[in-house]
Amino acid sequence: MLNGLFRDLSFRLRALFRPKAVESELDDELRFHFDQEVEKHMRAGLTREEATRTTRLEFGGLSQVKEECRESRGISIPESIGRDINFAFRQLRRTPGFSITVLLTLALGIGANSAIFTLVNAVLQKNLPVVDPATLIRLGEANDCCVGSGVRDSVSYFSTDAYLQFKKNVPEFEELAAMQAGFAYRPVIARRERTQDPARSVMGEFVSGNYFRTFGLQPEVGRLFADADDTAGAPATAVMSYETWQHHFSGDSSIVGSTFVINTKPVTIIGIAPRNFFGDRLISTPPDYYLPIETMPLLANVPYVHNPSQNWLYIIGRVKRGTEIGPLQQKISMLLRDELVAAGRLSPKSDKERLARIQVALTPGGAGIQSMQKQYGDQLHLLMWIASLVLLIACANIANLLLVRGIGRSAELSVRSALGARRGRIIRQLLTESMLLAGLGGIAGLLVAWAGARLLLALAFPASQNVPIHATPAPAVVGFATGLSLSTGILFGLAPAWIASKLQPADALRTGSRTAVPGASLLQRGLVVFQVALSLVLLIGAGLFLKSLSNLENTDLKLNASNRYIVHINAQAAGYVQTQLDTLYHTIEDRFHSLPGMAKVGIASYTPMEDNNNGWGIQAHIHPESSAIASVIRANGDYFDSVGTHVVRGRGINAQDGPNKPRVAVVNQTFVNKMFRPGEDPIGQHFGFPGSDTNTDWEIVGVVEDTVYQSVRMKDHLMFFIPTMQRPAGTKQPIEKDDGLFAGAIVLATDRPMDNMQHLAQTTLAGINPNLTVVRFQTFNDQITASFGQERLLSRLTMLFGALALLLATIGLYGVTAYSVVRRSPEIGIRMALGADRSTIISMVLRGATIQTALGLLIGIPVAFLCVRFVKSQLYEIARVDLNGMTICIVVLALAAFVAAIIPALRAASINPVSALKMD
Amino acid sequence: MTAPYLELPQGTLDLLILRTLSLGSQHGWAISERVQQLSSEALRIQQGSLYPALHRLERRGLIKANWGTTENNRRAKYYELSKKGRAQLEVEKEAWAKLTAAVAQVLGTA
Repeated sequence: MLNGLFRDLSFRLRALFRPKAVESELDDELRFHFDQEVEKHMRAGLTREEATRTTRLEFGGLSQVKEECRESRGISIPESIGRDINFAFRQLRRTPGFSITVLLTLALGIGANSAIFTLVNAVLQKNLPVVDPATLIRLGEANDCCVGSGVRDSVSYFSTDAYLQFKKNVPEFEELAAMQAGFAYRPVIARRERTQDPARSVMGEFVSGNYFRTFGLQPEVGRLFADADDTAGAPATAVMSYETWQHHFSGDSSIVGSTFVINTKPVTIIGIAPRNFFGDRLISTPPDYYLPIETMPLLANVPYVHNPSQNWLYIIGRVKRGTEIGPLQQKISMLLRDELVAAGRLSPKSDKERLARIQVALTPGGAGIQSMQKQYGDQLHLLMWIASLVLLIACANIANLLLVRGIGRSAELSVRSALGARRGRIIRQLLTESMLLAGLGGIAGLLVAWAGARLLLALAFPASQNVPIHATPAPAVVGFATGLSLSTGILFGLAPAWIASKLQPADALRTGSRTAVPGASLLQRGLVVFQVALSLVLLIGAGLFLKSLSNLENTDLKLNASNRYIVHINAQAAGYVQTQLDTLYHTIEDRFHSLPGMAKVGIASYTPMEDNNNGWGIQAHIHPESSAIASVIRANGDYFDSVGTHVVRGRGINAQDGPNKPRVAVVNQTFVNKMFRPGEDPIGQHFGFPGSDTNTDWEIVGVVEDTVYQSVRMKDHLMFFIPTMQRPAGTKQPIEKDDGLFAGAIVLATDRPMDNMQHLAQTTLAGINPNLTVVRFQTFNDQITASFGQERLLSRLTMLFGALALLLATIGLYGVTAYSVVRRSPEIGIRMALGADRSTIISMVLRGATIQTALGLLIGIPVAFLCVRFVKSQLYEIARVDLNGMTICIVVLALAAFVAAIIPALRAASINPVSALKMD
Repeated sequence: MTAPYLELPQGTLDLLILRTLSLGSQHGWAISERVQQLSSEALRIQQGSLYPALHRLERRGLIKANWGTTENNRRAKYYELSKKGRAQLEVEKEAWAKLTAAVAQVLGTA
């Protein structure tokens, strides 16, 4: 038994490692038999020729005998697969054009899809890297941000008091954690004590003491927060993120226990958050430091932490197993209503109906706060659809190319089957070839996917280095794309093999290449029509996104961005209190004005085209019956000039509008149109918070043009501008609590381009106060450009996919046309011999291509019209397909189709009739 | 080519080869000649089935192969029965005898 096994093994090993020896022995053996047979016939009286001929007839297919010997030796599987692969490689190398086309198609099809799906996977389906994400529940569903006093019907962010009420009264939660909603908009300034490290503006998120416990996390080093860290009067502590620890402090273990200066106050780093933990939400700027909520009044100098009427916290909790979500939601909503009444925000009598509507939706919290998912979701899904279309086109292309090739080889296959190759063997060979192609294409696709995902990430988040999204393609994604292309390869690689192997070899050889195999060419033409239609849809789509982007970019922003620089600052984090601000602003104006080349130094709450907005409810004194929401900006005298806003009536704000001077405001044109009737002169009018005692606070002294602020899409927006240090007349809020006085940005306008402005800004600010750092520096142009980033990305990607689709369709059309020319070259030869001239031949070849293209266009146009409905919400000022754009797309496609068809047509016309007829 | 030869029933080829080799080692051609001769020209083995059968038997260890030279001084592959092959031949001969007897009996009584 063992002996037999050993012999069997050595037999196979010999075949595997010495295939040549085994083969030549088989040859010798059969040759010997052949010769013996010939001699026998010669002994019977035949001549050598006759004997050889007879023997050959008797012998039948020599290669078939050999093949069967190989199989009966049981050595055929590994050996012949190796042989098949080797042969397949040679076949592919023999037709490099075909092979490269298929590989490129596969690589681009698989790669583009995997890249998009990887991103979709990473952004949309990612759970936080925490323990048992399924039992995490978020209180609320929207991404309301960041600090606000309004109460919506569905509440998604809460006051500290509301959080504490929930925590105390809802035992259904094992843990209930709270976290700062708007930390991304409020960087902290951090510096390691007793080092030369400069202070840096970084992300700090204020969280409850049980934050890490709720997520079930263990520290990487040191410890995470305990409840005691989050109590009033506790020593200031912080947990550092793993990324920051690694990247900025090279994983130095002495960081834990050391003291940092955060917003000018000493804070002890107690530990490092676990690796991979990127906070409670997917965001391009994850927190560098986690800080306890109760230390926020000290560190950030903000008044809202203990203000019961200010919402600023998101809440995520871990429910106990078996908790019913429905009743829990009712209970929490009830608690919130009670809390709103207790805080005096709503009255149980006059707000009865509103109170009844107010509720807290409980949503899955395993993925954390899904702001990025909401922001990018629609566009990612759109891109996913587009990429799928491209993959579909790619598959059609591969199918077509393989069909063309397979059918073109029917003569070869017939010869091989006449020489004794069995059908199974031929099919296996063709299968090997398609699998090899698909496999190589899959590998190339992986490379494209990897690079593509990185590129997409870089395009989507250009400014951030530590986006917690990894560009590694997800295995499921790659598996799907590879599976799809493999099955395409197998299916369409096998179809011609099947057709060819069913033919009687003799028939196939007899008819030769003078007739086409019926059926297949209809399939091929159908595939081309399909490709043309799909690419037209994609091209028209790409055109729409391009138009949309240009609509956005060509909007007259009414701003002047040349030689303008935006310096974001955070005086609050630098330790300033509100009473010091007037002096600080004057110092800033003076110091920057003393720089050579400085023309204007604007100071404002926030600037145009940045993601920020602050709205006040207001009422005009002469129209107390109506009120509206208007955006408010506190600005200094230079501000309008620094951003290029024109004053159209009255005056702008000037240096005399100090804190104790009469309250003045400059409003925009929309404000005038909406708040006043035609013919009413806005200059000299008064407005303010709704109410007869407050709506006289501000006197309008000037009107400015409407300029774009938060987004180009935000139109007809009421705005007013007030001096930096002026406050509403009757305000009960002490100045120390008025966060609105902190300016967010300095706008510098120079009389010439200045490359070193960032450095100048840094040193100038540090000269005023070492803690006053540049939070963010951008040229005004960069800031404007960045605000179109998402639209530009979408437009570029749809263009890319449209171009890809066009390329693939062109290749497909070329393949089919070129193939038909080869097949018909004897026919063409005859036609030419009978007197057909070149132009007749060219038009004959072009006719087929034209019909396919025209059919594709006819199908594609209505489909494109239909598809626009689905993308309309993504487009800016475009409601339907515009005819110009569509015409361009059709012309481009027709041109590409013409090029694809004219090359084989010219080749057909240059056929030499004699050689074409001699070919067979 | 309408052959005057009989069709070999399934499975008998191995038996014929083993039987032929029990007379001494032979190369492939000689085996087919020998079968033809022993069957008074009634049976003839096509090389298309002979060689696969030989290689199959070799793999199963029933026969062994060695290269030798013929009387005309040509290299040829000689096959001989192994011990296991000899035993197998006895088993198959017995089975064949039983089979033919049974078939004959059925045909006879039919």
